Amino acid sequence: MGRHALGTLRHTGIAVLMLLEAFRDIPFMFSKRHRHDVLHQQFLTAIKSLGVITVVGLFTGMILALQTGLELRRYGQEVYIGSAVTVVILREMGPFMTGLIIAASVGSAMSAQIGTMTVSEEISALEVMAIKPVRYLVTPRLVAMITMMPLVTVYTNIIGIVGGAIVGQTQLGVSITAYMDNATQFAENKDLYVGLLKSILFGIIIATVACHQGFSTTQGAVGVGMATRRTVVVSFLVILTVGYMITRLFYQ
Amino acid sequence: MIRFEAVSKSLGGREVLKEISYEIQSGETFVIVGASGAGKSVSLKHMIRLLTPDSGRVLVGDECVSEARGEPLDRIRERFGFLFQSAALMQWLNVGDNIGLPLRMKTSKSDDEIDALVREKLAMVNLEHAFDKHPSELSGGMRKRVGLARAIITNPEIILYDEPTSGLDPVTSRTIDRLINQLRDELGVTSVVVTHDLHSALAIGSRIAMLHEGRMVEVSAPDTFVKSDNEFVRGFLEAQYITTRGDWEKE
Repeated sequence: MGRHALGTLRHTGIAVLMLLEAFRDIPFMFSKRHRHDVLHQQFLTAIKSLGVITVVGLFTGMILALQTGLELRRYGQEVYIGSAVTVVILREMGPFMTGLIIAASVGSAMSAQIGTMTVSEEISALEVMAIKPVRYLVTPRLVAMITMMPLVTVYTNIIGIVGGAIVGQTQLGVSITAYMDNATQFAENKDLYVGLLKSILFGIIIATVACHQGFSTTQGAVGVGMATRRTVVVSFLVILTVGYMITRLFYQ
Repeated sequence: MIRFEAVSKSLGGREVLKEISYEIQSGETFVIVGASGAGKSVSLKHMIRLLTPDSGRVLVGDECVSEARGEPLDRIRERFGFLFQSAALMQWLNVGDNIGLPLRMKTSKSDDEIDALVREKLAMVNLEHAFDKHPSELSGGMRKRVGLARAIITNPEIILYDEPTSGLDPVTSRTIDRLINQLRDELGVTSVVVTHDLHSALAIGSRIAMLHEGRMVEVSAPDTFVKSDNEFVRGFLEAQYITTRGDWEKE
């Protein structure tokens, strides 16, 4: 038990040091040599995830609208689904669902790629060539996450709110105009900003966990599988914890 | 040029190197042979600080590589080229980008200059046609040659070879041997080769060292090595059907 705790502490320390080094290297990402890597990672993070994000965002909004709408209808207050869905999506579900999807799809792929590079000596080859693996591999992924997570979250928010509006219109008899009026009446800019802050932090968490797990990979193909699994599990747990802490901080 | 001073290293609870000391001279091809697990690759990785000794130290020229960090370590590493056993090519880059990677990341050369240098090195390893191919499209021997081209792209003083002929057929193995000799002759580099292929070792080595269970049991020129009375050397020679001086011929 004690050894396990010490191991976790050690891994956390190494991951934080790696993150600090990656932040320190961000200015290098503006050079021509690295710009292409950043753009490629941004493409993988955002564009390649849009399909699944659209489906999950839409159904999240629809489920939220249906569950809250059915309860509110008992009191004749179904028009309030506009604000209920919008506030919940902006504050929590948008960044949270985006974080989970990106961790499961992009984070796991990052971990698998870096893990494979580790076990096939490609990371050692970079070190031998005096190329810093963190600058070459981690910083472009970190920058892509920091820049793309808020954009993808805004997209998820929009799709989720649209999903809620569709259910309101088709199943609860709430017109889109009434839905949107109610939403804009109760939702605040703060809800959006706090959600975006969460999305940036979730992006940093995913990049850090995925890259650290990749670099820590041992035992060949089996190890790559284990690192990928750990990336998803650890990212989910940290995203949940940090999400709660941010909510607690801003909405006491 | 490279000096090991009483270097010991344990991995996974097993002592892999046991206070080994030896020196590699500038311009020579120093071959380290031994059975699997004897500590050959571990020894090689200490030269470039992919591993650090538990005790003792490794010197490259006057600089202690086992204590170097940051920029000084980068400077030492820039003196080396390294051919990995698996070639360790970046799978998502084509051959040209793989070979040009150190130049793209570490120098301000233009893309045209880098491409010209890459093509020059590809010609040296007879792979001019492979510039746009990806590693997955290459055979094992071709991957090794691409790895070799990448190792020499920065014109290093020292080239380290980790099992350059392992997994290759005898004909391709001899091609790699010829390339190692060619690079030594044309570029005047110091080479350190780790192998368990004695035919290769005898064909390319200026001196051959044998590691057995973490200890250096023999260091000698090929002529002397094949006549060694050391029981481990004799066993190793006989296991590869090399029993007399006449069984091999240096190119």
